[in-house]
Parts: sequence; structure tokens; C-alpha cells
Amino acid sequence: MALPRPLLLNVMTSSSAPVPYPTLAAPAHSALEALFGERLRTDTDTLGSWGRDWTRSFTVAPSAVVFPESTEEVVELVQTARTHRFALVPSGGRTGLSGGAVAPAGEVVVSFDRMHRILDLDVPGQLMRCEAGVITQTIQEHASEHGLYYPVDFASAGSSQIGGNVATNAGGIKVIRYGMTRDWVAGLQVVTGRGEVLDLGRGLVKDNTGYDLRQLFIGSEGTLGLITEVTLRLTRAPAAQQVLVLGLPAFPVVMEVLNAFRSRLEVSAFEFFDHKALAKVLSRTGLPRPFEANPESVPFYALVEVETAVDADAPLGVFEHCVEQGWVVDGVLSQSEEQARKLWRLREDISETISHWTPYKNDLAVRVADVPAFLAEVDAFAAQRYPDLEVVWFGHIGDGNLHLNILKPEAMPQHEFYDRCHAASKAIFETVRRYGGSVSAEHGVGLLKKDYLGYSRSDPEIAYLRAIRSTFDPDGILNPGKLV
Amino acid sequence: MKVLVAVKRVIDYNVKVRVKSDQSDVDLNNVKMAVNPFCEIAIEEAVRLKEAGTAEEVVAVSIGPKVCQEQLRTSLALGADRAILVETDEELQPLTVAKLLKAVYEKEQPGLVILGKQSIDNDNNQTGQMFAALTGLPQGTFASKVEIDGESVKVTREVDGGLQTVALKAPAVVTTDLRLNEPRYASLPNIMKAKKKQLDTMSPSDLGVEVKQTFKTLKVEPPAERQGGIKVESVEELVDKLKNEAKVI
Repeated sequence: MALPRPLLLNVMTSSSAPVPYPTLAAPAHSALEALFGERLRTDTDTLGSWGRDWTRSFTVAPSAVVFPESTEEVVELVQTARTHRFALVPSGGRTGLSGGAVAPAGEVVVSFDRMHRILDLDVPGQLMRCEAGVITQTIQEHASEHGLYYPVDFASAGSSQIGGNVATNAGGIKVIRYGMTRDWVAGLQVVTGRGEVLDLGRGLVKDNTGYDLRQLFIGSEGTLGLITEVTLRLTRAPAAQQVLVLGLPAFPVVMEVLNAFRSRLEVSAFEFFDHKALAKVLSRTGLPRPFEANPESVPFYALVEVETAVDADAPLGVFEHCVEQGWVVDGVLSQSEEQARKLWRLREDISETISHWTPYKNDLAVRVADVPAFLAEVDAFAAQRYPDLEVVWFGHIGDGNLHLNILKPEAMPQHEFYDRCHAASKAIFETVRRYGGSVSAEHGVGLLKKDYLGYSRSDPEIAYLRAIRSTFDPDGILNPGKLV
Repeated sequence: MKVLVAVKRVIDYNVKVRVKSDQSDVDLNNVKMAVNPFCEIAIEEAVRLKEAGTAEEVVAVSIGPKVCQEQLRTSLALGADRAILVETDEELQPLTVAKLLKAVYEKEQPGLVILGKQSIDNDNNQTGQMFAALTGLPQGTFASKVEIDGESVKVTREVDGGLQTVALKAPAVVTTDLRLNEPRYASLPNIMKAKKKQLDTMSPSDLGVEVKQTFKTLKVEPPAERQGGIKVESVEELVDKLKNEAKVI
């Protein structure tokens, strides 16, 4: 199968050091200037911040950033890129964790910040159509003002954009009940690497007319086309919910607890974190501890969000059962929205808190039933091979999704730390392969997991992925070097 | 020492409040309710006094419709020993609440009464003071610290420009400010225990108090919508707008 042709970047690097960022060739630059005027930016501040996502370990070297305001402009941009042979890196809220929006080699970053209009809300049809640059939280709020609900939610919802959510098939904290972004995309407008505009899905509930190209673009990480418009399905808001934080005496019982809650209640989130993650969040945020407990008796915590409208006493019954069985040591139940939010922060603030230790992050998935055995195996491996490194676990147990974070000791140089972690990755991914799991559950592949794709995808699959990519982007101008 | 704590049921702090279409009141239909945050602090302070051995019993009291039992159960889960609901479906205003509390106070004879300094729904900041005036008890309002030694109640108050410390003699009234303490979560074992704790219900007439309104709400309106900002192109334009549109310079 044909591979995308390697891209010859039309970029000059000046020999007189220090020049921090590459520059575009003059004709390409003039073409972009004609198209975007002041919305073409090449100053170092803009290049530095729009050239990267939340990752910090990749080179950041874009040559320009452009801010289109319409689909037509995006089409012209793609045509210009094809003519002048420069590469494009689509960019949303830049909250990705796999380097998918990093521009490491003189690419032009395409920011959707200026395409932030909500175009249409169809209340009876429960559909919202908006431009790609609308902030996820804005969508949630707009839906809720009209008595509707967009359920995909995660800690960075206040910064991330819907186009990026679709391109990475974002998951988050309500997947157990509502699924991933993929489950909520009713339609997409995309500009392919050939510069064609495709309207996919168009908000239809039923459309059995062959291959569903829309699904290809969801999770494509900007390699097939630029998403310019999204039509989302909405639903009615859940009834009253309460949040429990439970202390667990050991990890394996977490599955029993999940089972106990799911069999009696509508569970919209089931998250876990270890005592080290909790201690770090408490000391950094000053949030109150949910309840007194020492790490020996409570090494793990579960956060459960349940609907309590039908039977307010049901969580108490389940809790009592879990305590009798020895699965739960202690726990708290939110008595107000404010408390629910504070309890959620114990889980949601982990990522930001541990970013201080520039963690080596792994976002792994296995089948839900395999989670305890898998975690024990990886934990034992890490303890044996890296006794001096601190390992922090958290994740979405209900989805079989574990976030393994290895923290850098303050004194260890960055490169030494990454070298050691990379060496560990292979062994960890071998384990993932053995369990038939995924090396990237929800963060995507980007730059970070590209070399490891083979642990989750077979060779023929990867060949098909490349063939699809070259069909939509024959010149290889879209996010080169990422994904596959 | 027995401590009496007043607990009010209010709209949850995180709920976006909506006004009824006829502008008669705030819409409470299907709205999440919770313990008034200042009252939560009052409960926490009382429970800490009990844990420190200063208080022997903590009694929570709420006034309002039957559903206020939910907030009393929360208070019991947080550590109150028993609860009293003065049940009425009528509209309650601060003076009536103060009179009802006075009647409960006379029945219970506590050494200390702790209230939130105000409730986040009406923001009156009146009940504690009215109650102190009606009972003739000394009051330490806006407390950020409470120290008790025998009959002496030392209250540090948050006032403009600093802190003021007043000494009261029990029985006394304390109203809580935000910084007094950080309320705990209700633990699940305690929520279960709370179900078995004593919760007495009485009516205003049992207490010999007539519920009446001293003022009438004419109209409730949402705050005016704020206009979005604009970007000016130059300093000259900014100065011009400040001068001629905003008329502030």
C-alpha cells in the first residue's frame, strides 16, 4: 500500500545562531499574508505558545501561526500549503497530552481560536451545530441554558475546543455512562488534505448509505483533514446526582465496589486514585481531606458519581454492603453541589498537581475485568525495576482506563529521567499487548505514542491506516510525523 | 455546656438562580437545596466544641417546611446530637425566625447559640442580631475565632480594617464568618447513624409564636444583563470613549 510521500519542508533555517524559530520561504509567507493579513503571526511569543500543547518534551518550532475565520479561508489555506509545500498543524485548545498539536519542524499552525461561533441549536432535535473553535465548556453551558446537556467532560473542558475533542475522540470522566466524543458527533464539516469540503453526517439520525466517513475523522488527530464545523448530539440533563469518595483497603476490591454500585444505581463516573496522588493534591490545593485515613489501611480511593433522584438511600445501602464485605473502609457523601465539586477536584486536580514533577505519563486501557491483574503486574514491574522512582496511579476504572504516572525525582536531570522511562515503556507496552489492551486509551497517539502503535495495532491494520491517510492527504501536508 | 445551632435550607450555592416568570419570587421548582454555607460553619464549630470536650450536647434547629428535615439530617451526620424542626409552610422573615428561635432557646436553655452571620438566599444578616436583642444575650457577630473558658466566650470578629476581640459571658450568641473553620464532609457511617438520631417536630403555635410578615415582596428581578466589552483601536479612541460615552473623565 502506498505510503504518504515524505514532505520536503519549504523552510529555511538561518545559520546565524541563535534563531529560535524557522521562517517560511518568502513566496509562502506572502501568500499567507495575502490570505490572513494581521491574522498571520510570526512573533516568538505566538509561535512559542501556539506551537505546542500540554506536553513539554518535544521541540517546538513552528514557522507561523494563522487564525482562519471561515471554512472558505481554511480551503484557501490548504490550497496554499499544497502549492507552496508547507505543512499544517491543526490546533485547538492545546490541552493534548501526546504532542498531537505540537509543531516541531517549521510547520504552520492552524489555530481555530477565531472560529468560535455557535451556529445553531435545535432544541427538539437535541442538536447543536458550531464552529470547531468553540470551547467545550461553552457548549456545555449553552446546552444547559436551554435545558439540554452535553455529557463529554474532563478537567480541561474550560480550555479545550470541540474540534480538538473530535480530532482526538476525547474521553474524560463520564465515559462509563455516556461514552466518548465519538458517540456524540452527529455531523462534521471537514476540509481534506486535497482542499475539498466534505459535509459528513449532517445531523441525520439514520443514514445507511455506505461507509461512514465521519467516523474516520473522529480520532484522526488532524491527519486526514481540518475539522471546521461540528454538529453534536445533546441529551437531557441527568437527575440529581451525588458524589461519594470511598477508601479501599486494597486494589482488587475496586471491581467488587464498581459491581455493587452498578447493579443498584445509575453510575455516571467511577474513578480511582492512590494515596500518593491524594496527598499531593491536598498539599498543593489546600482542599480538605475527605476523611482521616493512613496509607497502610487505605492505599486506594474510589470516586463514584451516582444518580440519587429515584432512591436517595440507595448509596447508603450499597456502602453498607461494601463495608460488611470488607471492600470499603470509610467514605463520604456530598451534601451539596459545592461539596460534590470539591470532591471531584480531588480527582480532577491530579494531572495539574503532578505536572510539577514532569511525569512520564502512560494512558493505558485493558478490558475492565483485567484491570486488577494488569495493574498489579505493572506495579510490581515498576517497583522492581525503578525502586527509586515514584509511581502515581489514577484513572477511569469503569472504562478499564489507567493513567500510570512516573514522577521525576527533583534532583534527576530531565534527559536521564526520560531515557529510563522510555526503556520501561517497552516492557509496559509488552504487558499491554499481552492483555490485548491499548497503549493510548484516550490521549491519542500524536508524537508520544507513534513508535508504539504496533503494540496495539497489527501490521495490516497500520498499512490500512496509512493508505487511508494518503487518500485524504496525498501531499502529506497534514500533521506530518504524527499518529502513523 | 449545651450548644444550639440554627440551620437554614437554601438554594445550593452552585445553582444558577432563576426568577419566576411572574416575578413574584425565585423559582424553587426542582432546584437543588443545601445547608446555608454559613450555617455549615456554625455546625462545624459546635461539633468541634463537643469534640474538644467544651460542649456536652449539640442541638440543631431549623425552621421551615417539612423538607428542612434533609438539612437537619445532614447536621446530625456532621455531628449534632439531636435536631428540632419548627415546621411551617408560611413565608418566614428574620424577625419571626428570631422570635421562634427565642422560644426554642427558652425551652432548651443552651449556654451558647451559634448561627450563620447571614443566609446566602436573602443576605439579610439580621436574625442573629434580632435574636440577641430579643433574648437580651450578649453577641459576638462575624466570628473568625471562638475560644471558650468556663463561662467566658472570647470571639474574634472580622471588622473593616482588621480584627476585634470581644469577651462575652455565657449564655451568648455567636454568628459565624467564612474563615471560622473549614466544614468537614459527612461520612457515610455518620449519615447512617444520623438516621437513628432524635428529630423532634413542633409548630410555631406549639411555641406560642405567630408567624407574620412585616414586609411584602413586590417584585423579584434578575440582575441587569451586562453588555459585552469592545476592543478599541487606539489610545485616542479610548480617551474619546471615556470622555464622551462613559463620561468618566
